[in-house]
Amino acid sequence: MTTDRKLTEPVSGQVDVDGLLLSADPLLMRLHLRCGGKEGGPLAVPELAELCRLSRRLGMNLSRPVQASDDESRIEMWVETRFSASDKTDPLGLSIIDWKEYPHDGGDKVDPSRERDFDRLEGRGAIRTDAALRIIAQQMSGEAGQDFDVIGQSLLDIYDVIPPAANASLLEAVAERQPIRNQRMRQKSAAQRLFVLQGNPLIDKAGLFAGYRFTATPDDAPDVPAANGTDIKRATGKLISDSLFGMQLGPALRQPLGKIIANAETISGKLEGPLRGDYASYAKDIASAGRHLLDLVNDLSDLEAIERPEFTVAGDDIDLVDLAHRAAGLLAVKAADHHIRIDLPDESKRIPASGEFRRSLQILVNLIGNAIRYSPDGSVIKLRVSVEDGFARIAVSDQGDGIAAEDQERIFEKFERLGRSGDGGSGLGLFISRRLARAMGGSLIVDSKAGKGSTFTLSLPERKTA
Amino acid sequence: MDRSKHNDIVHHASAMADKASFVADDFAQALFPRTDVIFNDRMRSNAQQYLRSVVGQIEKRICIIATQDMGVSQPVLLGIAQGGDDQSYAMLEQSGLLKTSEIVQHLFVKTQQSELAARLLQKISQEDLESTLTRHLDHEDPTVAEAAMGLLIAQSKTTGAEGQIAASLADLPPEIAYAFAWPVTAALVKRSGFSGPQLQQATERLLAAHDESAGVARKAERLAQLLDQSEAEKTSISHPMRDGLTLFVARLARQSGLTSDQIVAFTAEPNMARFVVVMRAADFPVQEALSIFAALDGGDHILTAASYGETDRERCLALVSRWAAPDAYQNAERLLSDDFLDIQGK
Repeated sequence: MTTDRKLTEPVSGQVDVDGLLLSADPLLMRLHLRCGGKEGGPLAVPELAELCRLSRRLGMNLSRPVQASDDESRIEMWVETRFSASDKTDPLGLSIIDWKEYPHDGGDKVDPSRERDFDRLEGRGAIRTDAALRIIAQQMSGEAGQDFDVIGQSLLDIYDVIPPAANASLLEAVAERQPIRNQRMRQKSAAQRLFVLQGNPLIDKAGLFAGYRFTATPDDAPDVPAANGTDIKRATGKLISDSLFGMQLGPALRQPLGKIIANAETISGKLEGPLRGDYASYAKDIASAGRHLLDLVNDLSDLEAIERPEFTVAGDDIDLVDLAHRAAGLLAVKAADHHIRIDLPDESKRIPASGEFRRSLQILVNLIGNAIRYSPDGSVIKLRVSVEDGFARIAVSDQGDGIAAEDQERIFEKFERLGRSGDGGSGLGLFISRRLARAMGGSLIVDSKAGKGSTFTLSLPERKTA
Repeated sequence: MDRSKHNDIVHHASAMADKASFVADDFAQALFPRTDVIFNDRMRSNAQQYLRSVVGQIEKRICIIATQDMGVSQPVLLGIAQGGDDQSYAMLEQSGLLKTSEIVQHLFVKTQQSELAARLLQKISQEDLESTLTRHLDHEDPTVAEAAMGLLIAQSKTTGAEGQIAASLADLPPEIAYAFAWPVTAALVKRSGFSGPQLQQATERLLAAHDESAGVARKAERLAQLLDQSEAEKTSISHPMRDGLTLFVARLARQSGLTSDQIVAFTAEPNMARFVVVMRAADFPVQEALSIFAALDGGDHILTAASYGETDRERCLALVSRWAAPDAYQNAERLLSDDFLDIQGK
């Protein structure tokens, strides 16, 4: 319940020399009872009782703000006391002239100083920068006080940005005032310590971007995928549901995105009637952007799922040739748009394997989709199957630009785009695919040479047929 | 030889001898101040003038109640009630009874407030300053408009001449009125030789009649609270040239969780450093902060956008939060700090 301060008349009460509440209007009585008081008992609203005591001690009329709180709300009052000069033992009059209730709503808000305490407790340091990423304050874990030497220097002069991201992506995020998540940085100083940074943009009262507040978690563990996962889990803690995308945001976003895509396609296909060409083209762009967002939502849901410790895959009986035909069928239209031919293994052939059908199909769709995206129009994508060393393999080869040797491992890292942008990729597909392949007891590797195309090979445990 | 003059010299010399032992204390205080606050001659003069005026008003009021309402007919008290010279001030001044930290802190705040008002008047005319007070009279919320009117009336009663400090009994905080009233009563008893209970009763009546709600400070504080609760005003940035000094201080105090007295005291410190920290903690935009600083600054200090903008807000919030702690805690914390214990060789 919210009661505004516009009281039709002041709320009154009387308190005797011993601090007992002798009488009170309903609003005051309700507060008194909710604060644990009893009818005729000592006034139980602490600040109000203190005001009465002071008024009586001074023998004077006071007029002061008073705050009180019960289970439901916080109340701001303006209270005047009325002291009787003729007989000091007369009850003290209380007159509450303003009364404003606020529901308790600050539960999720963490006071900055408490946030700092939590940071320290959990071994996190804090860095505050201005809008130009110059460090204004820095206190790292294990250091007693502020690190004044770095103040005024650019964050990027003190730390090296290390994959999965680069300076450019970090600056892009800063330029767009986006939160920065799980950014790994290495100190340039002799210590060369590794940190994982989480950053939130700060906006001042005038609505202007005022810099970032980062928390820095030491990441001195070896750089293995498992460590990455752990970091994410620790960073997100319990503030975000373990299945934010899978259970909450994903379904909430898919429906409106689906409508946007469907409507945009209706418009671009001029299904409802004639339309100016450029408008149809805009609608096509909207549909394409919508699909990209939908892919991203799906990728993030998958990412979240595979990084959960309890993530498991089913051990279905699958056939890689059958999967190859299904995946190619799903992407046939896209390939045709680019005049790309998908060369598939003989449909009569059988390569039995063990793995989850849906996840294996997902990997192949990702591999063929990437091949279409990065192959020149009119080229051929070859899918070849084989069995070797107890593993059933399917290789997807394209005639694209290929991948330099030094980048061949990087492409499997999260959000790694090798500097590409605007082609509809999220940088998660290969990361997810490799994690899925490994979860199914297999692997995903790449073989490529710059200028000579790439071959991605998915291996899954061979299934022996009777 | 003029005998009376001779007697005066002897009397004066005796008085000097009595006080001689305090010379070193006074000189030491002047030589080795413990704060960086500079007290100029105008502040000293204003403080003395204010102190004398407050004591005189309280003394007169007690005497009026005693003689007119309670029928006391003692000549000294009657003389004071009828506007004669004050009698208590000299006694209280010499006795050290006016040197309590509570009273002196109040004096300091009042004189600094007067300083700020004088500085503000160098940047905006009295007329314009007064018109700022009418700003909230047309507020859509009648409670706010009514509170603004109350502040306007209270201020109009206590405005002193330009550059002069105004002392009004109604404006005294209750604790300060109480701290003044009882020593004044004791001085009156001593001076008049009147031993009946009426003087004490008169003082009790004086105090019981004191209404804190009529004072400017509380009127401003209540208006600040109402404005803060108002959807239309809660996000607006207060400025002394738009709201007037008292309301500005009250609004900033409310926002920061400090008292108005603390805010005023901060403005007396070199470069108004703590005041700037409070503005930063309250997230005042740069241009507003610079403008407020310029309006209240008494010297040629400059607050730059760079130094303000680069002051870490979170550290400011932490500092302000510490300053909002009870005085007793802050004092104890300081006394228990490592630095202090080191100094003491403990």
